[in-house]
Amino acid sequence: MSLENQDWLSAASDNQPLTKAQLDSLLTQAEYQDTLQRYHLIGATLRRETASALPNNFADDFAASLADEPVYQLQNDRNLLQRIRMTVSAAANGRWLQPVAQGAVAAGVALMAVFGMQQYQQTGSADSLSPLPVLQTQPVAGFYTPVSLSQTTVDDRFAEQEQQAMLEQQKRLQALLNAHRQQVRVLEQSQQASQTENSTVNNEQQ
Amino acid sequence: MRFSGLCSAIVLLMLSGLAQAEQSGWALFDKVQTAVRQYNFDTSFVVLKGGKADTYRWIHGRSGDNEIEHLIPLDTNGVDILRRDAQVYYLLTDRPAFVTEASSIAELPALLFEAKDNVSKLYNAVAGSSSVMSGRSAQLLRLTAKDSGRYHYWLWLDDETGFPLRIDTLSEQQNALERWLVTHMQITAEFPDNLNALMAAELPPAASAVAAATPQSSHQLNWMPQGYQQVSNPADIPQLGGSLLSYWLLSDGLHQVSVFVQNAQRMPTQAYRDGATTIYVETQNQLEITVIGPVSIDTARQLAGAVR
Repeated sequence: MSLENQDWLSAASDNQPLTKAQLDSLLTQAEYQDTLQRYHLIGATLRRETASALPNNFADDFAASLADEPVYQLQNDRNLLQRIRMTVSAAANGRWLQPVAQGAVAAGVALMAVFGMQQYQQTGSADSLSPLPVLQTQPVAGFYTPVSLSQTTVDDRFAEQEQQAMLEQQKRLQALLNAHRQQVRVLEQSQQASQTENSTVNNEQQ
Repeated sequence: MRFSGLCSAIVLLMLSGLAQAEQSGWALFDKVQTAVRQYNFDTSFVVLKGGKADTYRWIHGRSGDNEIEHLIPLDTNGVDILRRDAQVYYLLTDRPAFVTEASSIAELPALLFEAKDNVSKLYNAVAGSSSVMSGRSAQLLRLTAKDSGRYHYWLWLDDETGFPLRIDTLSEQQNALERWLVTHMQITAEFPDNLNALMAAELPPAASAVAAATPQSSHQLNWMPQGYQQVSNPADIPQLGGSLLSYWLLSDGLHQVSVFVQNAQRMPTQAYRDGATTIYVETQNQLEITVIGPVSIDTARQLAGAVR
């Protein structure tokens, strides 16, 4: 591995930015890491920063003490609803949600209209197929007659007179009908009589 | 040429056929009139008027030139109608007999007794088809009115004797208004026994014809239906008393129509029907006009409107 371009490593130890390719090679090749470590050590030595508060192997101690710790099973205590709410509340702030929500509301209204109408029609057709009600309150023909207490009392008051008048009228018509029949019975006789009368009158005139 | 000849032949055939039908119609009419005048018979008949039915027994006998006829209304108590030649007796149980001079009983269909000349002025007679009625072969005779407003008659005659079995009175719209129907009929050669006593019975004489002085009426009748004439001296109507202001009796020879004028009694305009008889009441100018007779309601209304 050529070391001609170790300048960027030196620059990186001086907190200079790295390119992506440089970072990749640093992460994958141990030589670069060693070199970078050395450069840092050199830098630290030059800046008299060798005396560290922590021992060099403190990471090992830390690992050992972690190994002694009991293992905790971490529970995911957030339930689905909360997670959805979280997602939605996160999404509500998103720019895409509002038009989508409006579209969803419009689609809902349309669906309600379609299915609601069908249901209404279904109930209508079911009504027409069902048998007629036993008690029909609507008259088959004509109009409702007004029903009120005052009317019946007025009726009562005049019913007797009306009946009387009707009887009287029927009597009169019957009398006229009888008179007509009587006229038909005696028609021939009266005609004969008038003829003889005329002839006698004529005779007298002669 | 040939075609027109054929056409005229067909037309001639049809005309002659019609004339023949007309002739045979009047021949049937003669037959039925002869039957009810000449035969000895004992029959029952009903008169159906809408929902109402009147039942009668009708016995007729002829010996030589003497004719006797006994009509018994079975639904009315205490009335017997008897005709001996030209005298008709209404024999009542609770009142003195009413006697009038007439050559037929008014309660029987006038059609069967009226002279053919009078009837043929008003009607066309056409023979119809044959059918079976009460177990007898019956021939239909249709009398169709020449004028509108007059009722039509359909008669079914017994094929053998010509005796009437059924008479329907039809309105202009061909609705049956009244049906006269024989329910039982017996025609015998001998004079009926039960008429012998009546033939010899002493009966009151006819009251002298009182041609009533025509009431001085201040009203006039301006119109009459086609074929009708005013009867010059109608009999007095004592039972109506002074309430009658004017009265006209119209006749076309077969039907009679009465027009009464009385003081108004606050009756609304109305029409009733008793079988073929129309009763029409109209109030106008403080007058109440009643028209009674076998005419359509329209004709009755026109008649009532013609009173001035």
